[in-house]
Amino acid sequence: MNLASLMQEIATRLGTVPGLRIHAQPPKTITPPAAIVSYPESVQYDQTYGRGMTRVEALKVWLVVGIVTDRAGRDSLSEYVSDEGEKSIKLCLEDYEGETWDDLTVASVEFDVVTIAGVDYMAAGLTINLACQGTPAA
Amino acid sequence: MAFIHGKKTFVSLAAKNLSAYTTTSQMEKNSDSHDVTTYGKDAHVFSGGLLGGTGTMSGIYDSTAVTGPRAVIEPLVGTVVEWIRQPEGAGSGLPQDKVQALVLKYTETNPVADMVTWSCDLQLSDVINSTAQAA
Repeated sequence: MNLASLMQEIATRLGTVPGLRIHAQPPKTITPPAAIVSYPESVQYDQTYGRGMTRVEALKVWLVVGIVTDRAGRDSLSEYVSDEGEKSIKLCLEDYEGETWDDLTVASVEFDVVTIAGVDYMAAGLTINLACQGTPAA
Repeated sequence: MAFIHGKKTFVSLAAKNLSAYTTTSQMEKNSDSHDVTTYGKDAHVFSGGLLGGTGTMSGIYDSTAVTGPRAVIEPLVGTVVEWIRQPEGAGSGLPQDKVQALVLKYTETNPVADMVTWSCDLQLSDVINSTAQAA
Protein backbone atom coordinates (compact mmCIF):
# COMPACT_ATOMS: atom_id res chain seq x y z
CA MET A 1 0.00 0.00 0.00
CA ASN A 2 1.40 3.34 -1.06
CA LEU A 3 -0.31 6.16 0.84
CA ALA A 4 0.51 8.87 -1.72
CA SER A 5 -0.93 6.78 -4.57
CA LEU A 6 -4.02 6.04 -2.52
CA MET A 7 -4.63 9.71 -1.62
CA GLN A 8 -4.05 10.69 -5.23
CA GLU A 9 -6.54 8.10 -6.51
CA ILE A 10 -9.18 9.33 -4.07
CA ALA A 11 -8.56 12.90 -5.25
CA THR A 12 -8.80 11.85 -8.90
CA ARG A 13 -12.08 10.10 -8.21
CA LEU A 14 -13.41 13.14 -6.33
CA GLY A 15 -12.66 15.14 -9.44
CA THR A 16 -15.70 13.53 -11.05
CA VAL A 17 -17.99 15.26 -8.54
CA PRO A 18 -19.26 18.54 -9.99
CA GLY A 19 -18.35 21.88 -8.48
CA LEU A 20 -15.35 21.12 -6.25
CA ARG A 21 -11.70 22.16 -6.37
CA ILE A 22 -9.78 19.04 -5.42
CA HIS A 23 -6.60 18.93 -3.35
CA ALA A 24 -4.83 15.58 -3.10
CA GLN A 25 -3.08 16.68 0.09
CA PRO A 26 -3.57 19.50 2.63
CA PRO A 27 -2.89 22.72 0.64
CA LYS A 28 -1.38 26.05 1.72
CA THR A 29 -4.53 27.91 0.82
CA ILE A 30 -8.11 26.90 0.11
CA THR A 31 -10.62 28.56 -2.13
CA PRO A 32 -14.10 27.16 -1.45
CA PRO A 33 -15.84 25.14 -2.66
CA ALA A 34 -13.08 22.62 -2.19
CA ALA A 35 -12.39 19.04 -1.17
CA ILE A 36 -9.13 18.23 0.57
CA VAL A 37 -7.82 14.70 0.87
CA SER A 38 -5.99 14.59 4.19
CA TYR A 39 -3.95 11.99 6.03
CA PRO A 40 -5.46 8.96 7.76
CA GLU A 41 -5.53 8.59 11.50
CA SER A 42 -3.54 5.38 11.22
CA VAL A 43 -2.26 2.66 8.93
CA GLN A 44 -2.63 -0.83 10.38
CA TYR A 45 -0.13 -3.31 8.96
CA ASP A 46 -0.18 -7.09 9.30
CA GLN A 47 -3.94 -7.49 9.40
CA THR A 48 -3.48 -11.03 8.07
CA TYR A 49 -0.55 -13.46 8.06
CA GLY A 50 2.42 -12.68 5.84
CA ARG A 51 1.62 -8.95 5.44
CA GLY A 52 -1.39 -9.98 3.39
CA MET A 53 -3.60 -7.02 4.28
CA THR A 54 -3.12 -3.41 5.36
CA ARG A 55 -5.91 -1.23 6.71
CA VAL A 56 -6.02 2.54 6.36
CA GLU A 57 -8.15 3.87 9.19
CA ALA A 58 -10.00 7.16 9.36
CA LEU A 59 -8.62 8.91 6.31
CA LYS A 60 -10.23 12.34 6.17
CA VAL A 61 -11.70 14.14 3.22
CA TRP A 62 -12.59 17.70 4.17
CA LEU A 63 -15.24 19.65 2.30
CA VAL A 64 -15.27 23.40 2.59
CA VAL A 65 -18.20 24.70 0.61
CA GLY A 66 -20.09 27.70 1.88
CA ILE A 67 -20.26 30.43 4.49
CA VAL A 68 -21.71 29.27 7.80
CA THR A 69 -24.64 31.65 7.67
CA ASP A 70 -25.36 31.13 3.99
CA ARG A 71 -28.41 29.03 3.20
CA ALA A 72 -27.11 28.16 -0.26
CA GLY A 73 -23.90 26.93 1.36
CA ARG A 74 -25.88 24.67 3.65
CA ASP A 75 -27.84 23.26 0.73
CA SER A 76 -24.70 22.70 -1.29
CA LEU A 77 -22.83 20.97 1.55
CA SER A 78 -25.89 18.83 2.16
CA GLU A 79 -25.69 17.48 -1.38
CA TYR A 80 -22.03 16.50 -0.98
CA VAL A 81 -22.54 14.67 2.32
CA SER A 82 -25.75 13.00 1.18
CA ASP A 83 -25.87 9.26 0.55
CA GLU A 84 -27.74 9.84 -2.68
CA GLY A 85 -27.48 12.07 -5.72
CA GLU A 86 -24.82 12.93 -8.29
CA LYS A 87 -22.83 15.05 -5.83
CA SER A 88 -22.74 12.41 -3.09
CA ILE A 89 -19.12 11.90 -2.04
CA LYS A 90 -20.07 8.62 -0.39
CA LEU A 91 -21.58 7.22 -3.57
CA CYS A 92 -18.77 8.60 -5.71
CA LEU A 93 -16.11 6.78 -3.71
CA GLU A 94 -17.95 3.60 -2.70
CA ASP A 95 -19.32 2.88 -6.19
CA TYR A 96 -15.83 3.04 -7.66
CA GLU A 97 -13.46 0.09 -7.87
CA GLY A 98 -10.13 1.42 -6.69
CA GLU A 99 -6.77 0.26 -7.94
CA THR A 100 -4.95 1.07 -4.72
CA TRP A 101 -7.54 -0.40 -2.37
CA ASP A 102 -9.80 -3.45 -2.22
CA ASP A 103 -12.57 -1.97 -0.14
CA LEU A 104 -13.53 1.58 0.78
CA THR A 105 -16.22 2.70 3.22
CA VAL A 106 -17.23 6.28 3.93
CA ALA A 107 -18.12 5.61 7.54
CA SER A 108 -19.20 8.98 8.93
CA VAL A 109 -19.13 12.72 8.57
CA GLU A 110 -18.48 15.40 11.19
CA PHE A 111 -18.98 19.12 10.89
CA ASP A 112 -16.89 22.09 11.96
CA VAL A 113 -16.39 25.75 11.24
CA VAL A 114 -13.14 26.88 9.61
CA THR A 115 -12.06 30.48 9.14
CA ILE A 116 -10.45 31.37 5.80
CA ALA A 117 -9.35 34.96 5.18
CA GLY A 118 -11.49 36.10 8.05
CA VAL A 119 -14.64 34.37 6.79
CA ASP A 120 -16.27 31.46 8.63
CA TYR A 121 -16.98 28.52 6.35
CA MET A 122 -18.87 25.36 7.17
CA ALA A 123 -16.65 22.31 6.79
CA ALA A 124 -17.54 18.64 6.68
CA GLY A 125 -14.98 15.96 7.49
CA LEU A 126 -15.71 12.57 5.93
CA THR A 127 -14.10 9.60 7.66
CA ILE A 128 -13.01 6.88 5.25
CA ASN A 129 -11.79 3.39 6.08
CA LEU A 130 -9.95 1.32 3.48
CA ALA A 131 -8.76 -2.25 3.21
CA CYS A 132 -5.73 -2.71 0.95
CA GLN A 133 -3.50 -5.49 -0.24
CA GLY A 134 -0.35 -5.71 1.82
CA THR A 135 3.06 -6.53 0.44
CA PRO A 136 3.53 -10.24 1.07
CA ALA A 137 6.72 -11.04 2.96
CA ALA A 138 9.48 -12.56 0.85
CA MET B 1 14.87 -18.67 22.84
CA ALA B 2 12.88 -15.89 21.25
CA PHE B 3 9.32 -14.73 21.25
CA ILE B 4 7.68 -15.16 17.90
CA HIS B 5 5.10 -12.85 16.36
CA GLY B 6 2.00 -14.49 14.95
CA LYS B 7 2.10 -12.47 11.72
CA LYS B 8 4.79 -14.79 10.33
CA THR B 9 2.53 -17.84 10.52
CA PHE B 10 2.02 -19.78 7.30
CA VAL B 11 -1.01 -21.96 6.61
CA SER B 12 -2.06 -23.89 3.54
CA LEU B 13 -4.88 -26.27 2.76
CA ALA B 14 -4.74 -28.70 -0.15
CA ALA B 15 -1.53 -26.98 -1.29
CA LYS B 16 -3.24 -23.56 -1.48
CA ASN B 17 -1.56 -20.81 0.55
CA LEU B 18 -4.21 -19.12 2.70
CA SER B 19 -1.83 -17.01 4.81
CA ALA B 20 -2.71 -13.66 3.25
CA TYR B 21 -6.37 -14.15 4.17
CA THR B 22 -5.84 -15.56 7.68
CA THR B 23 -5.78 -13.76 11.02
CA THR B 24 -5.96 -16.66 13.47
CA SER B 25 -5.17 -20.36 13.34
CA GLN B 26 -5.00 -23.07 15.93
CA MET B 27 -3.92 -26.70 16.00
CA GLU B 28 -4.91 -28.83 18.95
CA LYS B 29 -3.20 -32.17 19.49
CA ASN B 30 -4.90 -34.51 21.91
CA SER B 31 -5.13 -38.11 23.00
CA ASP B 32 -7.76 -40.56 24.11
CA SER B 33 -7.48 -41.47 27.76
CA HIS B 34 -8.36 -44.87 29.12
CA ASP B 35 -9.21 -45.42 32.76
CA VAL B 36 -7.24 -48.48 33.85
CA THR B 37 -7.98 -48.16 37.54
CA THR B 38 -8.19 -51.49 39.33
CA TYR B 39 -9.37 -52.61 42.76
CA GLY B 40 -7.15 -51.49 45.56
CA LYS B 41 -6.25 -48.11 44.06
CA ASP B 42 -6.97 -44.87 45.92
CA ALA B 43 -6.95 -42.75 42.74
CA HIS B 44 -7.78 -43.15 39.07
CA VAL B 45 -5.04 -44.45 36.85
CA PHE B 46 -5.03 -43.55 33.18
CA SER B 47 -3.38 -44.83 30.07
CA GLY B 48 -2.95 -42.93 26.84
CA GLY B 49 -4.81 -44.02 23.73
CA LEU B 50 -5.06 -43.00 20.14
CA LEU B 51 -3.83 -39.58 19.18
CA GLY B 52 -6.10 -37.06 17.53
CA GLY B 53 -6.65 -33.42 17.07
CA THR B 54 -8.58 -30.54 15.65
CA GLY B 55 -7.72 -27.34 13.88
CA THR B 56 -9.27 -23.99 13.14
CA MET B 57 -8.43 -21.12 10.84
CA SER B 58 -10.18 -17.81 10.38
CA GLY B 59 -9.56 -14.55 8.66
CA ILE B 60 -10.76 -11.87 6.30
CA TYR B 61 -12.78 -12.85 3.26
CA ASP B 62 -11.24 -12.13 -0.12
CA SER B 63 -13.02 -12.50 -3.43
CA THR B 64 -9.89 -13.59 -5.29
CA ALA B 65 -10.92 -16.39 -7.62
CA VAL B 66 -9.13 -19.73 -7.29
CA THR B 67 -6.95 -18.75 -4.30
CA GLY B 68 -9.38 -16.87 -2.02
CA PRO B 69 -10.73 -18.63 1.09
CA ARG B 70 -14.19 -19.23 -0.35
CA ALA B 71 -12.80 -20.61 -3.61
CA VAL B 72 -10.36 -22.88 -1.81
CA ILE B 73 -12.18 -24.10 1.29
CA GLU B 74 -15.86 -24.32 0.41
CA PRO B 75 -15.43 -27.11 -2.18
CA LEU B 76 -13.31 -29.06 0.31
CA VAL B 77 -15.96 -29.42 3.03
CA GLY B 78 -16.39 -33.12 3.71
CA THR B 79 -13.08 -34.11 2.17
CA VAL B 80 -9.70 -35.02 3.63
CA VAL B 81 -6.81 -32.87 2.41
CA GLU B 82 -3.33 -31.89 3.53
CA TRP B 83 -3.11 -29.09 6.06
CA ILE B 84 0.25 -27.42 6.65
CA ARG B 85 0.90 -24.98 9.44
CA GLN B 86 4.23 -23.27 10.07
CA PRO B 87 3.91 -21.49 13.43
CA GLU B 88 7.12 -19.47 13.02
CA GLY B 89 6.73 -18.86 9.31
CA ALA B 90 8.61 -20.34 6.38
CA GLY B 91 12.31 -21.02 6.70
CA SER B 92 14.88 -23.76 6.82
CA GLY B 93 14.83 -25.60 10.16
CA LEU B 94 11.71 -23.86 11.42
CA PRO B 95 8.91 -26.03 12.82
CA GLN B 96 6.12 -27.33 10.64
CA ASP B 97 3.07 -29.50 11.23
CA LYS B 98 1.79 -31.39 8.21
CA VAL B 99 -1.30 -33.54 8.56
CA GLN B 100 -4.27 -34.88 6.67
CA ALA B 101 -7.42 -33.14 7.85
CA LEU B 102 -11.14 -33.54 7.30
CA VAL B 103 -12.67 -30.16 6.46
CA LEU B 104 -15.67 -30.12 8.79
CA LYS B 105 -17.04 -26.65 8.35
CA TYR B 106 -16.60 -23.42 6.39
CA THR B 107 -18.35 -20.31 7.75
CA GLU B 108 -18.72 -16.78 6.41
CA THR B 109 -19.76 -13.93 8.68
CA ASN B 110 -20.96 -10.57 7.41
CA PRO B 111 -21.08 -7.81 10.03
CA VAL B 112 -22.71 -4.63 8.79
CA ALA B 113 -19.90 -2.35 9.92
CA ASP B 114 -16.80 -4.35 9.17
CA MET B 115 -15.13 -6.68 6.70
CA VAL B 116 -16.59 -10.05 5.80
CA THR B 117 -14.79 -12.80 7.69
CA TRP B 118 -14.45 -16.55 7.26
CA SER B 119 -13.60 -19.49 9.47
CA CYS B 120 -12.90 -23.16 8.98
CA ASP B 121 -12.99 -26.18 11.33
CA LEU B 122 -10.78 -29.19 10.72
CA GLN B 123 -10.63 -32.69 12.17
CA LEU B 124 -7.12 -34.12 12.04
CA SER B 125 -6.88 -37.51 10.35
CA ASP B 126 -3.92 -39.81 11.07
CA VAL B 127 -0.65 -38.76 12.68
CA ILE B 128 0.93 -35.32 12.42
CA ASN B 129 4.26 -35.03 10.66
CA SER B 130 6.12 -32.45 12.75
CA THR B 131 9.43 -32.64 10.94
CA ALA B 132 11.13 -29.24 10.69
CA GLN B 133 11.15 -27.52 7.33
CA ALA B 134 13.82 -28.67 4.93
CA ALA B 135 16.58 -26.39 3.65
